[in-house]
Amino acid sequence: MSDLKTQVEEVRGSFNSAIESVPTTDALQELRVRYLGKKGVLTSLLKSLGGLPPEERPLAGETLNSLRDELEKKFESRKLALLGAENEAAEATDWVDVTLPSRGRPWGAFHPVAQTMHEIVSIMQGLGYSVVLGPEIEEDYYNFECLNMPSWHPARDMQDTFYFPDFPDADAGSGAADTAPGAPGAEKSSKRRLLRTHTSPVEIRAMRRYGAPLRIVCPGKVYRRDNDPTHSPMFNQLEGLLVDEGVSFSVLKGSLIELMNGFFGRELKSRFRASYFPFTEPSMELDIECVECGGKNPNCRICKGTGWLEVCGMGMTHPFVIRAGGIDPEKYNGFAFGMGLDRMAMLKYGINDLRYLFNGNVSYFLSGRDA
Amino acid sequence: MIVSWQLLNRFVDLPVSPEEAAARLTMSGAEVESIERPGESISGVVAARVQSLGRHPSRENLFVAEVDTGKGKAVCVTAATNLKAGDRVFYGAPGAVLPAGAGPDRAGPSGKMELGVRDFGEVRSEGMMLSAEELGLPGVDIEEGILVLPGDAPIGADARALCGIGDVLLDVSVTPNRGDLLSILGMARELKGLYPDAVLKPMPWEKSAPGTGDWPVPFGAISLPDDGCLNYHLGLATNVRIGPSPVEIRVALSRLGMRPISNVVDATNYVMLLLGQPLHAFDLNTLPEREITVRRAFEGETIVTLDGKERVLTSKDMLITSGREAPGGRPTEPIALAGIMGGKQTGINDDTDIVVLEGASFSPRRVGHTSRRLSIASEAAFRYSRGVDPALSALGVDYALSLMAEWSGAEIGCRKLSAYNVQPEPQPVVLTKKKLQTYLLWSDMEESTRILEGYAVRRVKEKEAGKTGKGGEDARVFLPPTWRPDIAIEEDLIEEIGRYRGYDAAPVRMPGVLPRRGDIGPETSLAGSLRACAIARGYVEAITYSFLPESFVSALRLPGSDPRAHPLSLENPISQEWTAMRTTLVPGLLNGLRESVASGWRGPVRLFEIGRVFLRGPAGPSEPAGQSGPEGHGEPDVMAGLVCGGTDPRSPWPETRDDFLSVKADVEAFLRARGVGAVFARGAEPFGHRGQTADILSERKKHEKNEKNEKSGKIGYLARLSPAIERELGFTEPVYVFELYLTALESPDRPVYAAAPPFPAAFRDISMLVPNAVTQAEVLAEIQALVSERFASDSAVGGFSDSAAGGFLESVKLFDLYSGKGIPAGYRSMAFSLSYRASGRTLNDEEVDRIHNAVRDTLTQRGYNMR
Repeated sequence: MSDLKTQVEEVRGSFNSAIESVPTTDALQELRVRYLGKKGVLTSLLKSLGGLPPEERPLAGETLNSLRDELEKKFESRKLALLGAENEAAEATDWVDVTLPSRGRPWGAFHPVAQTMHEIVSIMQGLGYSVVLGPEIEEDYYNFECLNMPSWHPARDMQDTFYFPDFPDADAGSGAADTAPGAPGAEKSSKRRLLRTHTSPVEIRAMRRYGAPLRIVCPGKVYRRDNDPTHSPMFNQLEGLLVDEGVSFSVLKGSLIELMNGFFGRELKSRFRASYFPFTEPSMELDIECVECGGKNPNCRICKGTGWLEVCGMGMTHPFVIRAGGIDPEKYNGFAFGMGLDRMAMLKYGINDLRYLFNGNVSYFLSGRDA
Repeated sequence: MIVSWQLLNRFVDLPVSPEEAAARLTMSGAEVESIERPGESISGVVAARVQSLGRHPSRENLFVAEVDTGKGKAVCVTAATNLKAGDRVFYGAPGAVLPAGAGPDRAGPSGKMELGVRDFGEVRSEGMMLSAEELGLPGVDIEEGILVLPGDAPIGADARALCGIGDVLLDVSVTPNRGDLLSILGMARELKGLYPDAVLKPMPWEKSAPGTGDWPVPFGAISLPDDGCLNYHLGLATNVRIGPSPVEIRVALSRLGMRPISNVVDATNYVMLLLGQPLHAFDLNTLPEREITVRRAFEGETIVTLDGKERVLTSKDMLITSGREAPGGRPTEPIALAGIMGGKQTGINDDTDIVVLEGASFSPRRVGHTSRRLSIASEAAFRYSRGVDPALSALGVDYALSLMAEWSGAEIGCRKLSAYNVQPEPQPVVLTKKKLQTYLLWSDMEESTRILEGYAVRRVKEKEAGKTGKGGEDARVFLPPTWRPDIAIEEDLIEEIGRYRGYDAAPVRMPGVLPRRGDIGPETSLAGSLRACAIARGYVEAITYSFLPESFVSALRLPGSDPRAHPLSLENPISQEWTAMRTTLVPGLLNGLRESVASGWRGPVRLFEIGRVFLRGPAGPSEPAGQSGPEGHGEPDVMAGLVCGGTDPRSPWPETRDDFLSVKADVEAFLRARGVGAVFARGAEPFGHRGQTADILSERKKHEKNEKNEKSGKIGYLARLSPAIERELGFTEPVYVFELYLTALESPDRPVYAAAPPFPAAFRDISMLVPNAVTQAEVLAEIQALVSERFASDSAVGGFSDSAAGGFLESVKLFDLYSGKGIPAGYRSMAFSLSYRASGRTLNDEEVDRIHNAVRDTLTQRGYNMR
């Protein structure tokens, strides 16, 4: 018996020291075969039980079986440890340089002005405004006359206009419906084709098409005959119009404050200055606090030290215009506003030079992010 | 308009500083763009008296003056020849500072010029006597040399206290409705309205009594057959001596942006700046006839205006003419373009001694029309087209005559000759409490009345106004003054009240709820989803000009039969590069590629733009209904794209390079984003590569069962640019372009979903040789067609009861394409995978083989070489 005990201790001792130094799962497997295999050390000890006296057998068997369990357990835990290390080593070899440039196409880039248009339109949609579009090639009648700007009006001086020579079939079609309300017979010049100088003619077309109540925004390209560092002959505007019964200037304020705060993503100080537009009465302009310096930099490049940025013209729609839209100004009134989308985009995205906006230069638009 | 604070204070006592007044004006509608104090850049300059003047002992052309500076004597050297002993001048002692850029080549590093002591030979000059230009007053000198001051200029007084040099100037942006603000008087009245405590002073003309005597020269009648002239006055000044006007007046004119000319002309300009009334002085001796007729021009009639230009007129223009109209007689002689500019022949010259001074009132509409048409932006036209108080014309003549008497010694005792047409009278306007409350959410009628009366908009009794009241105290009647023709309707009164109170005072309210949601609209929502998709696929969004040079038509080889070859051309383009409206977005994107390459971009370029093109002819079906505009042209929305590999195509991943088929995948994705399937067919574009151009046809899924998918017409194209054009534009890599007409995509197709098929499919392959002329799509279509034709009814081969229209063939897909070694020239090997599936059971191998072999056999019979 004591002989067996000694043998058990020996086996345990040698197994323990062997398993500690086993380097791989393969070597571990060999070790297992050596101790626990069919011809293994432990197996032959178990086989030798038969040579013991019957009264010693149960105890000896128990001793050997518990040794076998112990070895199996150690073997399993060692196997897990080795497997883990081996997998780790294999993955370390099978490495990818994660700093390599990605394959496939990188994200493109939005145009700041288009982005601005979509952002503002969706803010205004939340306030119940619908989008209505109009033609970029307009008639004098819609672009000027219906908006209370007859041909002699000095306000036209501010909107140098591109014209088209008469169209071959320009005078065909629509007639009677196009007589300006309040004007004694539309002049022939009123059908003269031009590139719209503002998005305001869409107000007239929308009022005639949809009537009142009406709540719309009209984004689009407009054109004026200017070309210098601060004026492009083509630029983008967004017009807003609300017509209903008993409309207050306060609602115009609410709509625009919400638009500005939504677009710039924070509460901005604003002020409403009296101004003049032929198609609104009274008329105002909206100044917002300088988004660059907040009014703190007397040498600010954006606000020129005034602390204010002029962003939007507006007013209560002139009764003449409501009537030109085919709506009864005794019953309905409203307001309209118009802003430059290019200017809004330049303010939000810190763009200094208008000229880069319309030349399609990829590197410029990608400069908004790391190339 | 530039407003002089000193002149303003002659009209009104203001309780505030220039800065405060400017802030108030800005918020109430007259934006002050800047406040300048030009005199602040001058220091150490005083009035001095020339005690003695002698030649320099050794230098020719120089003089030595001894001046009394009030604090002592100083010696200075000058080259000026206009001085004499006793003259008073501006003297700058050593250390005095002059404005930047005032003196030629003497400015210091700060830009300002500091005077010092300078030796001229043996004479040391302490400081210097100054010209007007050196004081920053261009045009004020009447002769080369030193500015000579009036004889009563106080010796030793600081220059900034003299002659208006220390004035404060407000640059005010006056809106077109406020012609009355284009004068110092108007500004004074406006500030009186804004500041109830301000006090208006007696008007300058109140001192000048109009003459009553007869004209010493016979002068006939004034007739006004053109009703665009509301009134017309002529005053007379005799014994005029043309000369300079006083220094102070010249300084004021110069500061306010007008060039001093002579005492007579300066008097008319000065009165215009002060009162806003344009005046015109004729030399009596140059008038062809001593009668005046204000009439319409004849078509084609001409006049040479003061600026020397010949103007060709129409019957809408108004002329001042000399003579009287007689039936059948010859036309009266034009002497001025009414309210705009005088004629060259009849103007004031150095020898003028009798001046006929015109003060008139003209219709803003008529003057505006003519000055706009002829592009004449004179000070007079600017004011008349914005409205001049008709009550000012006579006063203006009287005031200007009194100034001429003062400045030129003229005699002005004669009465004015006057003529009148029907005068527009201010009309009463009703203000209701209801509307005031609606607009401003505020309605204090008492306070409103006080505000309006501050602006001289008088409350009148209803009887006086001839109006019947709308309801007692809730409606009041007001009469605007003659200088406020812009106040004509109730909203105008509300504006006066609103701007006085300030719009920031109004509360903030949100728009109420409408019975419908805001609708983003089909065009905008389509653009939104397309751009999101394009940006995700690596495209950069562009917006390019709607104008192109006309040459784009030939650059793109567009033939006359192509509608895109006939762009709408501008009548008045701003540049030769921008003469025609684009009919395609491609040139703009090509320009973007060129710009990108020129600015050093070497990588791949992927651009897209969503915008309109402009086509002649009736608006076609591609015109969105919501934006129908004038007839005769269409403005369809287009999405265009451009892809170019770039000048540096090197990449660690060469397989990611763009080519025709990768761009095709993009286009398919854009269409798929709208639920539209695309069919690409071999096509042709005038600018496309002959072998690499596709027409794009859309294929819409029908939701109803048993309905075939609907193929539309061409909705766009995808092409590689013709290599000849690529070379012309200097591109060394292939350039791919596409355009999609968007109307076809406006209503998105809903996808149709189906459950996963319950029974497995069986797959069989076919590999065959196909002649190069035959496209993959043609082979594919042939296989599909033959299956559906042959096996739909052929029970000998199929004979399965659930076979409906070849229903076993689920799909055919190309999986391999090969040409080269082992394949005869002129052929490609195409391998297709066919998948067979029955809807109600699992097909067994035998059935599948039978169908598949029949397909193979049929294709062989049709001449394909099976591999």
